[in-house]
Amino acid sequence: MEDQLRSIVDRAHEAARTASDVAALAAVESSFLGKKGELTLLLRGLGALPKEERPAFGKLVNEAKVRLEELLADRSRDLESVALEAALGGDGFDPTEPGLEVSHGSLHPITQITRELVRVFEGLGFAAARGPEVEFEHFNFDALNIPASHPARDTQDTFWLSDGNLLRTHTSPVQVRAMERFGAPLRVIAPGRCFRNEAVDATHEHTFYQMEGLMIDRDISVANLIHVMKTCLREILGREVRIRLRPGFFPFVEPGFELDVHDPFGTGEDRWLELLPCGMVHPNVLRAGGLDPEEWTGFAFGLGLQRLVMIRYGITDIRDFTGGDLRFLEQFGRV
Amino acid sequence: MLLSLRWLSRYVDLSDLDATRIADDLTMATAEVDGLEVSGEALREIVVGHVVECGKHPDADKLSLTKIDDGSGELLQVVCGAPNVAQGQRIAFCRVGVNVPVDGKKLKKGKIRGLESLGMICSARELGLSEDHTGILVLDTEAAPGTRLTDVLPLSDTLIEIDNKSVTHRPDLWGHYGFARELAAIYERPLKDALEGLSLDVPTRGDTVPIAIDASRGACSRYCGVVIRDVVIGPSPDWMQQLLVAIGARPRNNIVDLTNWLQFDLGQPTHAFDLDRLAGPRIDVRFANEGESITTLDGQARALTTSDLLICDGNGPVALAGVMGGEGSMVEEGTTSVLLESANFDAATVRRTSMRLGLRTDSSARFEKSLDPALAELTARKFLAMLPEVAPGARVAGPIVDPASWAYEPRHVHLRLPRVSSLLGVAIDESAARGFLEPLGFTLREKGYESFDVTIPSWRATKDIAIEEDLVEEIGRCFRYDAIEPVAPRAPVDALHRDPELALDERVRTVCAYDLGLHEVYNYSFLDDALCERLGLAGFSYVQVTNAIASHLSRVRRDVLPSLLGSVTDNFRSRDDVALFEVGNGYRPESPGEARAFSSADGDAHERVLPLEVHQLAALRVVRGGEHPYRRLRGDFETLLARLGVNAADVRVPTSEEASTLPWMHPARTAVFVTKAGEVLGYVGDVHPRTVRALDLDFAVRKGPTGGAAACCLDLRACLAAPVVALRYVPVPRFPSQPVDLAFLVDDAVRAGDVGRLIEDANPKFVRRHQLFEVYRGKGLPDGKKSLNFRVELGSDKRTLNAEDEERYLDRIRNLCRERGFELRG
Repeated sequence: MEDQLRSIVDRAHEAARTASDVAALAAVESSFLGKKGELTLLLRGLGALPKEERPAFGKLVNEAKVRLEELLADRSRDLESVALEAALGGDGFDPTEPGLEVSHGSLHPITQITRELVRVFEGLGFAAARGPEVEFEHFNFDALNIPASHPARDTQDTFWLSDGNLLRTHTSPVQVRAMERFGAPLRVIAPGRCFRNEAVDATHEHTFYQMEGLMIDRDISVANLIHVMKTCLREILGREVRIRLRPGFFPFVEPGFELDVHDPFGTGEDRWLELLPCGMVHPNVLRAGGLDPEEWTGFAFGLGLQRLVMIRYGITDIRDFTGGDLRFLEQFGRV
Repeated sequence: MLLSLRWLSRYVDLSDLDATRIADDLTMATAEVDGLEVSGEALREIVVGHVVECGKHPDADKLSLTKIDDGSGELLQVVCGAPNVAQGQRIAFCRVGVNVPVDGKKLKKGKIRGLESLGMICSARELGLSEDHTGILVLDTEAAPGTRLTDVLPLSDTLIEIDNKSVTHRPDLWGHYGFARELAAIYERPLKDALEGLSLDVPTRGDTVPIAIDASRGACSRYCGVVIRDVVIGPSPDWMQQLLVAIGARPRNNIVDLTNWLQFDLGQPTHAFDLDRLAGPRIDVRFANEGESITTLDGQARALTTSDLLICDGNGPVALAGVMGGEGSMVEEGTTSVLLESANFDAATVRRTSMRLGLRTDSSARFEKSLDPALAELTARKFLAMLPEVAPGARVAGPIVDPASWAYEPRHVHLRLPRVSSLLGVAIDESAARGFLEPLGFTLREKGYESFDVTIPSWRATKDIAIEEDLVEEIGRCFRYDAIEPVAPRAPVDALHRDPELALDERVRTVCAYDLGLHEVYNYSFLDDALCERLGLAGFSYVQVTNAIASHLSRVRRDVLPSLLGSVTDNFRSRDDVALFEVGNGYRPESPGEARAFSSADGDAHERVLPLEVHQLAALRVVRGGEHPYRRLRGDFETLLARLGVNAADVRVPTSEEASTLPWMHPARTAVFVTKAGEVLGYVGDVHPRTVRALDLDFAVRKGPTGGAAACCLDLRACLAAPVVALRYVPVPRFPSQPVDLAFLVDDAVRAGDVGRLIEDANPKFVRRHQLFEVYRGKGLPDGKKSLNFRVELGSDKRTLNAEDEERYLDRIRNLCRERGFELRG
């Protein structure tokens, strides 16, 4: 019977080793270890042996059974792993097939540039303030050293309202409002919507967006203005920039400047672009804000936001900013 | 404004300087240069020709047949129509194939009365040099034929285009002389006197015209008049015509050209009247009477108002002061006696008239800038001094009458060098200050340590230089702002905080765009009349623009949502799903906002009130096909409130009064969110079916799965005022939650909010959260009933709940239902 056992074991091992998949292996298990399996029957036929041989042979058969079970388990793990690997082969998976479209929103590009500027200036110690769009004539003109007869009142093409107020023509009214409210020293910026009665075309709008900046302290100088402007433009444009100040006239500053940026698009061209008006706050404006010009000096500037956005993204028609055309708005979904 | 380099060179030596450098220096120190233009370019191909032969054209009396030597070695046959062509002349010759300067057209080989003509002998007009077309231009030169004309005549010039906006504050820069003064200062060169080289003898007695000035309103500070006799009207000298043409002015005759030339030379407009056509003759400077009118020399009849300043003779108006002369008294062919006017008119008066009539002239543009009254006399003198050359034979017949007896009382400004240095951020010492200021005409007298009394020259005193900072600007621009080294300001001591409303505004936009997935829109603050009518909003009161950009854009919006609704329709051409938001302001004229008292210049106090400003978020979802977007947007709105930490104490439908102010919202399908204090935070609901139809979005009228339109509005100021729920840590539950689904069969009128409260009231300790996941009506339910299906999470922080707890909770729910007449299903 030992020969019989050896033969069964050999065949069982051979069958287990050569089983090509899990099903074949299960068949092997059943034909040797199942109820009518050869090893099971052999064990059952133990009674036919002489009594004294039974324990030793029984032990042999049991050991063979355990070894076979281990072998089958090993083979089963191997085969399952092979089957899994095979299944991972993919069934026509296309890595270029895009995902489901997720609906997402966007901030208007002017909101985005405003945030960027606010972040830059907050880093420089400026606080963001706001003022009304329907404004008193006083804050828009008189307090800014633009008296009633001043030609600037025409050139600014003011929208006048039937109640005697106006739609602010710049964000500068916030200068005097902020001085009144916070006193000095003061570092404040004021982004917002402004209006001028101007015919609309690809580069002109009657509704536009500005950001006013104002810094007041003891001994603020033109040299400080140049430093702050250089710093903020470096932050906004993301590179060192050359700037220059040249004379410019605005009633609420004295001296007043136009600030030009060299090579505005960073393309290496030798060109100056007029970017923003600025200047030292006029003593009359400081007085209107309740500050003594002998004690306090300051500078102010105004940034045109559409201009910056147009430079940045190469937008060619200013009219695209207004209205709800999703084909325009969706382009600015980047965070 | 164009500046001629040749003209400037009359007063300051610029011969060694490149035009580009001059333009750069002007831009950096004085005024913005828009561009450079080299004139005479068109003349580059014109050559000197020699008239070798000149005879009659065989077939035409008025034409000459000439042979021209143009230096090419070949004599060219040219037919010429000018009366003054003669043998032996040197003339300006345009060869065949060369562009004729005046119109840029290429000259072709011609055939005139049967004879070939191989070129053109040019008149001054054909060369673009003047208006003179009476004959050909005869050159006073012996230059060889073929020499370039530009080498013979001083024709080439460089024109500097100045941006007028950059000199509106500088009355002294509206003529060449003012710019010459700037350039002399920039290059530290001598400046010639405005009258240099001219001698003048004005008689002290003789012919005069009486001049009376109405001084009551201070509109004419000076009026100089002088009589000139024996005038022969003719062309002005070539050099004068050339300079005028170069800067774009049209020569007319010697007297008019001289007034024009002086306007561009010194910046002072003058006017020449034909004295024989002045009634009286006398001059009255006065304001117009009601009903008066004048025909200006452009032939236009103009009705006048009492704010228009006039020059009148014995019969009435002969000129609009400082704007334009009258038709009846202009100098023209045949004039022999002239009254020259050189006056100073008030800037505001001239501007008002010129704006009202839409009549902007070179003259009005200058007077508007507040000209120096001293310039009126200087210009009159220069006119008289140049008269012998410009109008030979003319005679100054009497003294300059100047009745206003104006005299410059020098203005003084105190200048402290430490203040200059501190404002500019660079050290400026006395010699630097003097070096910059004195060449510009300022005089400095020491007045204490580093402190000066500065006398302002009359040409800078009318409005330009009044305070110390104005002198700081003079010094700064001469020092050059780009030479100032940047210096960091001192660090701030105190941090200011972002305006809370701006901060809230930023959070709202972030949630809407990046959380709710809406696209941000910017609309105009103006509500288009067409949209206003379509949405039925014309009955409201609006802040009105009196000078609207277009008549249909005179209303300032009250709310943001109507503008946003107007942005929807066009998008449906390219998509089926539109989700937008806008944050902006609206204005309510019937409600007072900020009120302030201001005092005017004369000390009068007056009260002003701004209309109430509302700061709103408007958002909407409109879809074509599928489920109505109301519940989606409702979820958006609730998410937004939760993100902001704002709690609504109550949600209800709008009162009829509220509904009437929101005609774009469905009055019965809008939820108004209210704070504990009763303040309305905002609303969310269906867009009114009428509005939906008015916007051509008929698919969005609620009827089954065809889509729909929902909109919401949040009042940012109300949010800011609402108490914010502090975010507090709640321990994470240690015992599991047990979900229970409850279906309540209730009358249609029962509100889900009340059922939700019942769910909480049944056991506030155990109910962790609940959610309405379905509202069911229809099959299987009686009419007028609905089923509100809630998922409730029960749980305790002390132990795991068991079946008995759940049963006890359900018992309480059943009892409460019985009290309310609800039925618990299933």
